[in-house]
Amino acid sequence: MSPGPWWASEARVGVSHNGSGRRADHSGSGRVLDQLINPFLLYLGLAVGGIGLCVALPRRRVNPQAIGAVVGAAGIGLVLLGLGLKHPDQLPNYNFYIFGLIAAGSALRVITHPRPVYAALFFIMTILSSCGLYLLLSAEFMAFALVIIYAGAILITYLFVIMLATQAPTEQDIDVLADYDVESRSPMVAAVAGFVLLAALTTMFFRGAAGMESPARPNPDALLAQMPRKISNERVRESLFRSGELGESETVTAVSPERGMVTLTGLDGSREIPLPAELSIKNVESIGFDLLNDHPGSIEIAGVILLMAMLGATVLSRKQVEFEEEAKMRQAQALAAAGGVFSEKEVRP
Amino acid sequence: MIALSMAASTLAQAGFPEPMGQATLAHYLFLSAVLFVIGLVGFLTRRNLIVMFLCTELMFQAAGLALIAFSRFHLEQTGQTFVIFVLTVAAAEAALALALVVLLFRRKDSLSGEEWREMQG
Repeated sequence: MSPGPWWASEARVGVSHNGSGRRADHSGSGRVLDQLINPFLLYLGLAVGGIGLCVALPRRRVNPQAIGAVVGAAGIGLVLLGLGLKHPDQLPNYNFYIFGLIAAGSALRVITHPRPVYAALFFIMTILSSCGLYLLLSAEFMAFALVIIYAGAILITYLFVIMLATQAPTEQDIDVLADYDVESRSPMVAAVAGFVLLAALTTMFFRGAAGMESPARPNPDALLAQMPRKISNERVRESLFRSGELGESETVTAVSPERGMVTLTGLDGSREIPLPAELSIKNVESIGFDLLNDHPGSIEIAGVILLMAMLGATVLSRKQVEFEEEAKMRQAQALAAAGGVFSEKEVRP
Repeated sequence: MIALSMAASTLAQAGFPEPMGQATLAHYLFLSAVLFVIGLVGFLTRRNLIVMFLCTELMFQAAGLALIAFSRFHLEQTGQTFVIFVLTVAAAEAALALALVVLLFRRKDSLSGEEWREMQG
């Protein structure tokens, strides 16, 4: 973020370290929050956002949704502005503001649009902009997984269900909206509850964020030590040869990924050069390593969850064909009329 | 403007990126809280079951954003790994919930959440 080393900027944020490296006690709870944002500005922004949310929710009579959206965006913008004012040196990338506003705005539209199809499409927009945020946070693999799984699979399932489960429009009234889509359930109470929750969440988040220590800078090549295939002498030699760093008569004698150095031995003694950059760990590799090395049991559990969900969905949505049911009903009626053992009530599903 | 361009120049490079400041983390956490609360309010107010389940997905999204932001702040991969499990749970939830929605629509010809009322024990 800032050009200087990280620990130099900590003093500006106000986190003091004592000898043990633990966080020093802050006397007042308000002061920790105050390091990040003026509490008055925070709560004012949240209140404005809550009012905007309340106005934007759909209701039957007057519907000033656009005004509500503008007010809500103003509230969010106020808080973001307040966060930026205190630490102009730690502003996020400007793409954060673009993606963040798109994400929050389309999330607002998800819950305020009366038509479920549009709500689902706006949700896809939220997903895409949070993919942008993931990219800014250098989680490239998760960003693409999100596009593929969420926007590609889950949301398409939603759209299919919306297509399956809506009343067919009649000829006179194509734009018919159901009652439960137009009228929201107690928007005022929900907006107040949401605003109180948001205030509590952000207060705790910001107090935590203001008091949190930044981790030490890890050695980027430390993970390489656990991937011996990747740093075999042969591959290091090939990589160095391609980049032209390997001399004519030199050979790779030792690779120490902990230090990030390669030892080359030639006719005139040995020398050490840094590991070639193309061997460094990429995002996908580190996630795969973390997943398989540290959480092998969780993968099994995830597999079981998916299997159970598949079985459950299949069992739940099993359907007897309509005409079969009608045929059964007719048969039962015929039986009942003939004085059979079945009454109509027992057969009806 | 200078600060903005400076921040832009430290976009994620290959390998481990630069550590992230606390104020930057707070920006992401605030956005994640906003998304979560929007999802919650939507879940409380909307009466269409499909939109209600969309709102739970929105809350999953917010949790994922917070996880990734913390993972970036701590320079740890575990946060990103857990988003995979969030995705798993979201997919399972979507499959089951949509099966229930289809079932309800077949029985009642309506998507209103209040139609479930007679299900309560």
